[in-house]
Amino acid sequence: MRKFNFAWEHGVAVFLVVAIALGSGLSEFFATTDNLSFIIQDVAEIAIIALAMTYLIIAGEIDLSVASTLNLASAAVGFSFRNGMPFEMAIVVGLLVGLACGLLNGYLVTVVGLPSLAVTIGTLALFRGFAWVLLGNEPVNELPENWIVLGYENIPNTFLPWSTIPVVILALLAWVILHYTRIGRWTYAIGINAEAAKFSGIPVARMKLALFGVTGLMSGVAGVVYTLRFASASPDGAVGYELDVIAAVLFGGVAIAGGLGTLWGVLAAVLSLGVIRSAMQLLDFTGNALLIVSGALLLISVVLPRAIELVKDRRKSVTV
Amino acid sequence: MTSLIQKALRIRELPIFLFLVVVALVTGFANPAFFTVAGLQDVLLGVSIVAVLAIAQTLVIVMKHIDLSVGSTIGFTAYVMGAAGSWGHSVWWGLAVSLGIGIAVGAINGFLVAYMKLPSLVVTLATLYLVKGIFNEIAGGDTITGDRVPEAVNAIGANYFFGVPYIYIIVFVLMLVVGFIMKRMRAARDLYAIGSNLSASELAGIPVARRVFLAFVATGAITGLAGVLLLARYNTADANSGVGIELYAIAACVIGGVAIAGGIGTVYGAMIGAVLLQTITSALGALGIPQFWQLAVNGTLLIAAISLDRYLSSRVKPTSIMGSHE
Amino acid sequence: MQKKFTRIAVVTAIVGALFATSVVAPASAATGIKTGLRIAVIPKQVNSGYFEAWNKGAQKACKELKAKCDFIGGTKATGAVQVQFINKAIQKKYDAIIVAAADQNAIVPSLKKAQKAGIIVITSDADVAAASASARTVTIAPSEASRIGTAEVDWAAEAAGKKGTVAILSAAATAANQNVWIAAMGPYLTSKYPNMKWVGGSLDKAIFYGDDDTTKSTAQFNAILSQYPDVAAIIAPTTVGVLAAAAEKKKKNLSVKVTGLGLPSEMAPYLKDGTVEKVGLWNPIDLGYVAIYAAGHAKAKTFTGKTGSSFKAGTKTYKVTAGGIAYLGDPFTFTKSNIATFEKVY
Repeated sequence: MRKFNFAWEHGVAVFLVVAIALGSGLSEFFATTDNLSFIIQDVAEIAIIALAMTYLIIAGEIDLSVASTLNLASAAVGFSFRNGMPFEMAIVVGLLVGLACGLLNGYLVTVVGLPSLAVTIGTLALFRGFAWVLLGNEPVNELPENWIVLGYENIPNTFLPWSTIPVVILALLAWVILHYTRIGRWTYAIGINAEAAKFSGIPVARMKLALFGVTGLMSGVAGVVYTLRFASASPDGAVGYELDVIAAVLFGGVAIAGGLGTLWGVLAAVLSLGVIRSAMQLLDFTGNALLIVSGALLLISVVLPRAIELVKDRRKSVTV
Repeated sequence: MTSLIQKALRIRELPIFLFLVVVALVTGFANPAFFTVAGLQDVLLGVSIVAVLAIAQTLVIVMKHIDLSVGSTIGFTAYVMGAAGSWGHSVWWGLAVSLGIGIAVGAINGFLVAYMKLPSLVVTLATLYLVKGIFNEIAGGDTITGDRVPEAVNAIGANYFFGVPYIYIIVFVLMLVVGFIMKRMRAARDLYAIGSNLSASELAGIPVARRVFLAFVATGAITGLAGVLLLARYNTADANSGVGIELYAIAACVIGGVAIAGGIGTVYGAMIGAVLLQTITSALGALGIPQFWQLAVNGTLLIAAISLDRYLSSRVKPTSIMGSHE
Repeated sequence: MQKKFTRIAVVTAIVGALFATSVVAPASAATGIKTGLRIAVIPKQVNSGYFEAWNKGAQKACKELKAKCDFIGGTKATGAVQVQFINKAIQKKYDAIIVAAADQNAIVPSLKKAQKAGIIVITSDADVAAASASARTVTIAPSEASRIGTAEVDWAAEAAGKKGTVAILSAAATAANQNVWIAAMGPYLTSKYPNMKWVGGSLDKAIFYGDDDTTKSTAQFNAILSQYPDVAAIIAPTTVGVLAAAAEKKKKNLSVKVTGLGLPSEMAPYLKDGTVEKVGLWNPIDLGYVAIYAAGHAKAKTFTGKTGSSFKAGTKTYKVTAGGIAYLGDPFTFTKSNIATFEKVY
């Protein structure tokens, strides 16, 4: 019988199933199509950004400015529309803004050589600052009705919100690319050992630049989704989202040191966190309790695998 | 003479110090009020909290780690100091509990990072949430106002010694003490080694786990006591105190030459970084930059400072402000 | 013996039931609101003294109406977080939602969803954007916006001896309430007090944003003094801002006058020691109390929220004015002489 290698991702999948079971069991409101729709809407933006952040962290980098990029893209969409651009064009502008932000991060990291953690703290402020410059203290709240509907309605005759579509398409793309193409393999290689990767011919700098760019682009997509969901663009939106994204990616089994992690682990983690939050809210847990649970989950996600490892090591030394 | 100048030019903290001088001068020209006693006192008062956290953070960053939980801890202990009176305890009780909380959080972080070998980013992110959740539960909607601040704490916050705010003096002395320890004490110097090359440190016989653990505990202890300073500075505390301040502390360190990559940087640099951050903030106000542009300008200057430091330090062999040590 | 006992028990039970229903029915008849309503009370965020007082009022009304009111909310005052709780209320099929809008635009789609599901939506303390007024039946506002603004200018002018320059330390730049109050302050200062001006020469230059954050508010207070050292008075139309300003003024022993909207429990020490002469605020307890009654009446279909309609809460009647707004009344002014009465209340 082939030994089943128990990976962290399997744990997350089990966790997701258990969470859904508990939620359904404990609250009559949980296992409804309404709730599923709410959960998907809730996690859509985080899921989209997490897809790109997974690649980035596997490659050994990080981007703390994603929430500000999301918000700037949203502000750009609102600003463009307010100044007369057709909404479709405004969306394109938002996406381009996201891409530009990502590329700026990439440039500062790969060309100027600054550490990504430090630089993205700076761009976190910079991008949010631009959102203020664009909108001042007047959020945009008159967006075309036919587009807003996509933000919070379900696809007709289903219980799935419209935002499921970009999430599913992007997730499939991201999954295939990461696990089945050369680009994916390069990403892992860079994360495991950037020097060795460079020597084996992988264009490390260009890859990183591209990864940052894609992260920015995904943040831009998330920004558009966000704008539609809240039917508005405001300079102070999405504050703190970056920590949610990073927590989800880390909970999904991606090692912060790089070189390790799977996409479906991250997706399971994003869903899990959404499910847990929904269940806790339906069970009347307070906001404070949610904070404590998030922290505890994050801790468990790293302590447990390590504890198992330590036990295994000890057992090995005993049997010998 | 020239060798002295050469030596000075090689000090790692020099570029950022010069940047600070430039920003200060520009601001001073634009608004002379900046260079008055009141203006400078303002800067020192404003810098103190971020500076003390940056000093604590330095211990951890040089080892190639990070501590994101400091914001929650300092807010919590600030609140505890203020609430101690209403709970029927003395200011000493409040101080002891604050220190205890700081050490406890530091010990948890330290244990998980040093002995369970878990990544500090994840661990301290988790403790950030955990501590904040517990803090919120205890504080609820309560706000500590001026009359509940213990007399001693109020005295620290309100008084000056020859024009320098007491709060800043405390932080400055802390910087000197920690700086001295990090240069002279063997155990502290090991932190740099750990950050530069972990495996070499282990092979060299450095008790890595113990050092890392104690460094986190020290960071926690300083942060816990810093709650007193936070309360002294603002005369108020509530469930939202300290939120988000960890990013400023880390930014101050990075700007001040304490590299995220570990192994390099001093508390003196961290202090300069903190002062620069504060000066930029005051400058934006003093220069009358329109409110809606301030955050963007702030971000640009931050990136410029980091880039400048990187650019200049890549051209010289790094030494610290107190002489070469690595 | 057993039979007799049983008979007495049955009679007692029937009489008791009749009595109970007769006690319940009058309450129903008096207000017209049926009992047992389930109402979700959603503040901008929990962990706030101001909203705990707001909830106190709501719970008081709920007790009177024998309704079940749940105080739910997140730890961050953002639209995205608040939407989660509004959605929860929709799922749990509450009869009504009372909400203090954390973001005047972001929560509109979910409020509309709630209304579609048959839930009554009332905003209290902080409203949605005027363009989206249809997303709620009525909003309970403290006082007429211009009255709040002009009252604060009066306090500032009085303290400063009716001459000098004035600056404003506000909340977030996107805070709708503050912006409306400030808009009222602008022309009022220059027209009523000819010897007073806004710093920098115009209202725009005189506004500094403290984001309802103590650290930022303190920094902005200092920025005002750094840019305009001769400023005579600073108006802070936000409880966090006025507290930060008063604390900083006292710490640095400054002479600038500070006034604004402050919670009596927080501002008491500064009123007593003379740091601040006057602050004012409405009573958030009333805001919560009145909102519950509005929801109850709306659910009972005796109140439509249309302009000109009215409803009764406790002993007072409230009329709806243009824009779907019901006002509580003028703000209270707190001074050294009356603060003792209020500081324990909220």
